[in-house]
Amino acid sequence: MNMRKSLKLFLIITVAVTAAAKAAPAPIQLQIFKARDKVMPAVVHIQPVIKNYNTGELEKQAVVGSGVIFHADGYVVTNYHVAGKAVRILCTLGDKEIVSAEYIGGDPPTDIAVIKLNLDEHKGPIVVADFGNSDSIQVGQYVLAMGSPLSLSRSVSAGVISTKDRYFSPDVRLPTGERTGRYNLWIQTDAAINPGNSGGPLVDLSGRIVGINSRATIFANNLGFAIPINVVREVTAEIIRNGKVQRSWIGLHCQALMELEDYFGTQRNTGVLISSIDPGSPADQSYLKAGDIILKVNDQEVSARFVEELPKFYYLISRFEPGEKINLEVLRGSETYTFGVVTKSLGDLQGEDFEAKGWGFSVKGITRQMKIENQLDDTVGVFLIGVKRVGFIEDGGLFRSDVIKAVNKTEITGLTAFTELYSQLTNEGVEKILLTIKRGGGTRYIVVTVDKDGEEELNEEL
Amino acid sequence: MKSCNCSILRANILFVFFILLSFPAETANSQNFDFGKLGSRSNAYMVVIDMQIEVSFGINTSDQEERYLGTIVTEDGLVIFDGTDIASDNMFSSFSGLTVKTTPTKIEIITLDGISYDGKLLGFDRFTKVGFINILAEDNEKFTPVKFNKHHEFRIGEWLALFMLMPEFITPSLSADIGMVSNLVESPEPFPLTVGFNSMQLASVLFNESLEAVGILGTLMDPSSGSANGSSMMGSFGSGGIPMLGVITGERIEELIAAPPTEGEIERGWLGISLQALTEDIAEFWQLDLAGGIIVNEIIRNSPADKSGLKVGDIIYEVNGQPVEVDREEKIAVFQRLIANLGPEAAVELEVMRLDQGSTDLTKILVNLEKAPISPTEAADFKEEELELTVRDLVFADYMIYNLDSENFKGVVVSGLTLGGPASIGGLLIGDIIQRIGPTEIESVDDAKKVLREISTEQPREVIFFIWRQNQTMFVNVKPTWN
Repeated sequence: MNMRKSLKLFLIITVAVTAAAKAAPAPIQLQIFKARDKVMPAVVHIQPVIKNYNTGELEKQAVVGSGVIFHADGYVVTNYHVAGKAVRILCTLGDKEIVSAEYIGGDPPTDIAVIKLNLDEHKGPIVVADFGNSDSIQVGQYVLAMGSPLSLSRSVSAGVISTKDRYFSPDVRLPTGERTGRYNLWIQTDAAINPGNSGGPLVDLSGRIVGINSRATIFANNLGFAIPINVVREVTAEIIRNGKVQRSWIGLHCQALMELEDYFGTQRNTGVLISSIDPGSPADQSYLKAGDIILKVNDQEVSARFVEELPKFYYLISRFEPGEKINLEVLRGSETYTFGVVTKSLGDLQGEDFEAKGWGFSVKGITRQMKIENQLDDTVGVFLIGVKRVGFIEDGGLFRSDVIKAVNKTEITGLTAFTELYSQLTNEGVEKILLTIKRGGGTRYIVVTVDKDGEEELNEEL
Repeated sequence: MKSCNCSILRANILFVFFILLSFPAETANSQNFDFGKLGSRSNAYMVVIDMQIEVSFGINTSDQEERYLGTIVTEDGLVIFDGTDIASDNMFSSFSGLTVKTTPTKIEIITLDGISYDGKLLGFDRFTKVGFINILAEDNEKFTPVKFNKHHEFRIGEWLALFMLMPEFITPSLSADIGMVSNLVESPEPFPLTVGFNSMQLASVLFNESLEAVGILGTLMDPSSGSANGSSMMGSFGSGGIPMLGVITGERIEELIAAPPTEGEIERGWLGISLQALTEDIAEFWQLDLAGGIIVNEIIRNSPADKSGLKVGDIIYEVNGQPVEVDREEKIAVFQRLIANLGPEAAVELEVMRLDQGSTDLTKILVNLEKAPISPTEAADFKEEELELTVRDLVFADYMIYNLDSENFKGVVVSGLTLGGPASIGGLLIGDIIQRIGPTEIESVDDAKKVLREISTEQPREVIFFIWRQNQTMFVNVKPTWN
C-alpha cells in the first residue's frame, strides 16, 4: 500500500520535471531518479563516538560519516576511519528514524568497516542497496555520490567516473596510524565529495553501488575517491564471517618496472621488481633480494610495469593462507631461480590502545608491523602514543614513539603485562614510578609522579 | 649630570624630599663612560671584516656578502668575531639530511684607519661560536691587540659598554651601546647575564666603567645543544627561545685565544655515549647516595666508551677524581664540556657505579678519549655538474638519527640537488642514501666520484641509483641531459 503510494508520487514528480526540462536528455534524468530511489533509502547517516588516544588520554570524539545498508540483517558498510574505534554508534536511516548500531569489524588496509543496525529499535522494513560490479565501470560513466557531506544528511551529488584505476602510495595513514591502500586502486569521481561523505555509496545509474566514497582532495574541486565495490564485497563478507580480514605477508615492497626494463634487461610486461625487503620477514629469510624480479608466483605469471599494477600483486600474495609455502620464480641477473617462501599472517598493523590515566600517557601494544616501521629491536614492551600535558612528566620527558621496557624493576613484555602492572601499582597507591624506555638506540630512565586525581577518576570507573 | 644634581641639592633645600627620592635612582641608572677616550683607545684593535660566503642549502648554492666587527687579540694579528651565522655545527641540517654549508671564499680585514688586509679563517669554538681569523700581513708587522682583564669581579647593576657595527650606508660605522649586568648565573655554568644588549652585538668587546676590556658578549649555552658528543641531538630539537646574552669573561676568552683552532673547529675529546642526569628522583629509586652523576644511556659502537668496557645503565660519578654533580638535565653541558676540554688524546679515569641485581658495584674505568666525529657539514662531498647532484659521506650523526647499523650500512647521502635538474626530476631527494650506482656498490664519496666521473665520460642515456629512503630501498632512474 505504502509502496504503491510512493510510486505514484514518484511518477508525478518525474513527469513534472521532464516536462519542465525539455532541453535536458530525458532518459538520464529519469535514470538518476531511479537510481536515487533505489539507493537513497538505504543510505545511513552515521554518528559514532570514537576513542582517540593520541593526546595521551582517552578522548571521546563525536564524528560524522555515511554508510549504506547492504544486507537485510541490517549490516551497513562504512569506512574504518569513521567507525573503527567507535564506542557507540547512532545511525539515522533514510526514513529519519534513529537506530543504534554495533561495530562488527574493520579492515584498516582497505579502510572498510561493517556495523550492524539494532533492527529491533526500528519499526517497519529497511531498504537494502545492491552492490554492482566495479570491474565493468567505464571512465565517463555517470555516477551519484550519496551521504552526509559536512553532516548534511541525505545529500546527493552527481558526476562521472574520472578514472577507474587511480593509484595511491600505500604510505597514506589513517588517523589511527595504520597505513592504508596497499591492496586496491581507487575510483576517482568529480561528483562532489566532502568530509562526512566518508563511507557513503558511489552509485551507477542502474542504482547499484560501484564504490564506497572514502577520500577527497583538500584544496581541490571535485576530486573524490571511492574504494571499488568488488574490493568492498570481499572485505565485508570476510568481516561478517571473522570480524576482520586475514592476509598473508612475506615482507616485500615492489616498484613499477617501466623505467627500469633496460637496466634489468627484462621484456615488457614481464615480472614484478622487488625494491625493498623488510628485515626478518619471510622474504628476507628466503634470501630474496632487492633487485630480484618475480616472474611467477606458483606458476602464475605476474607483472607490474606500471604502479597501477602493484596492488594486484600485493593482493595476490595476501590471499594465500598464512603458513602456506609459495614458490616464487625470480630473475636475478640473467639467471632464474625458484625460492620457496612460507608466508606469515600480516596480523594487526597497530596494537591495542590503553590509557595509563594516573601516569598521564597512553600506550599501545607493539605488533610486528610496528616493529618494522619503527625499526625496533623486537615487539617487547609498549609503544607510547601520546603524553597528556607538557610539564606533567619530569624533565627529559616522554615522547611519542618511546618504547617502555620496564616499570620500576618489572620488565614489560607486552600490553597485557603493562595494564596488569598499572592496575596493581595504582591499587597500591604508589606516588612515583620509574620507567625504563628505549628511544632510538638509547635507554633512558624517567620518573613519573602519579596524578592522584587521575587515579581517583580511574577507581570511580572501575 | 652628577655635579648638576649636586648644585640642585645645595640650592633647593626646600625640595629635599623630592631629591631624596630621585637620588638612589640616579646612582642606579646613570653610567659614567668616557666614550671619547674609549673610542680612541679601541680604534687600534677594532676592525671591519668583509666576508664573501658561499652558502649551499641543500638544493642550491648562493653567494653572500657579510660584514662583521672584529677585534685584534694578538700582536701577530689574530682576530675574533661572532661566528654564529657561519659556524658549521648546524644540528638542524643533520636532522633533515639537508646540509647547510657555509664556506667563506674571501676575507678582507679593514682597520679603522682604512688599511686593508687579506684574512684566513682558522675556525670556530664549538661552544661560544667565536670565530678566529688570521690577518695575512708581513711577518714583522705588529698589531695592537686588546688586553682583557682576567680578574674582573662582576657585580649586578654594573654598567658595561661596547661598540657595534652599523649598516654600510651609515658613517661613521661604529655606534656605542651600554648594558647592565643583571644576574650572576651560577648554574649550569658561571655566567654574568646582561640586559640592554642584542644578539647583533655578539662577540663585541665589553668594557667596564674603568674602560678595561672584561670580556666579550656571548650567549648562555643552551644546555641541550652544543653537545660535544652528539648525544643531545634529540634534545636540541625544538628548544628555541630568546638567546640569553651575557659576558664570556676575559679569563675564558684568553683561554680560547691561547689555543685557537688550527683547522676547522677546536679539537674536542669524545667519549661516545648518550647520557642523562642522575636526578634526585632517579637516585631515590635506585637508593643511591649521590649528589648527581651521569647515567650512560647508550654506548656508540667502537667509541672510546665501547672500548673501555663502560655499560648502558652505568652511573659516572667522578671524572679524574672530580665529582660529577649533575643532578639536572641542564647541567649535562658541564660534564660534556669537561670531557670536551680534556682533548682528543686524554686518558681519563671514570669512577662508575654499576647496578647489578640489587647490589651496587663500584668500578674504576679508564678511557682514552678520541676526536669527536665530524658533522655532516664537515663530511667530504662531491658535486656532479651534469646530473646536478651533490653527495657527501655518511657521518656519525646519520647513523644515530636513522638508527643505522654502523658496521654494515654503507652509502653516500644526497646533500644537494638543483630543482629541475636531472637528479631532481629523476626522483632523488635530499637525504636519500645512495647505495649503488648502476651495478657498482657505493661506500664513500670517493666511490661515488669515481663512478660518476666514468658516467660523465660514457654519457649513458640513463643512470640507475639504488637508494635507501625512510627505512626502505628503491631504484631511481635519472636521465641526464648531456651537453
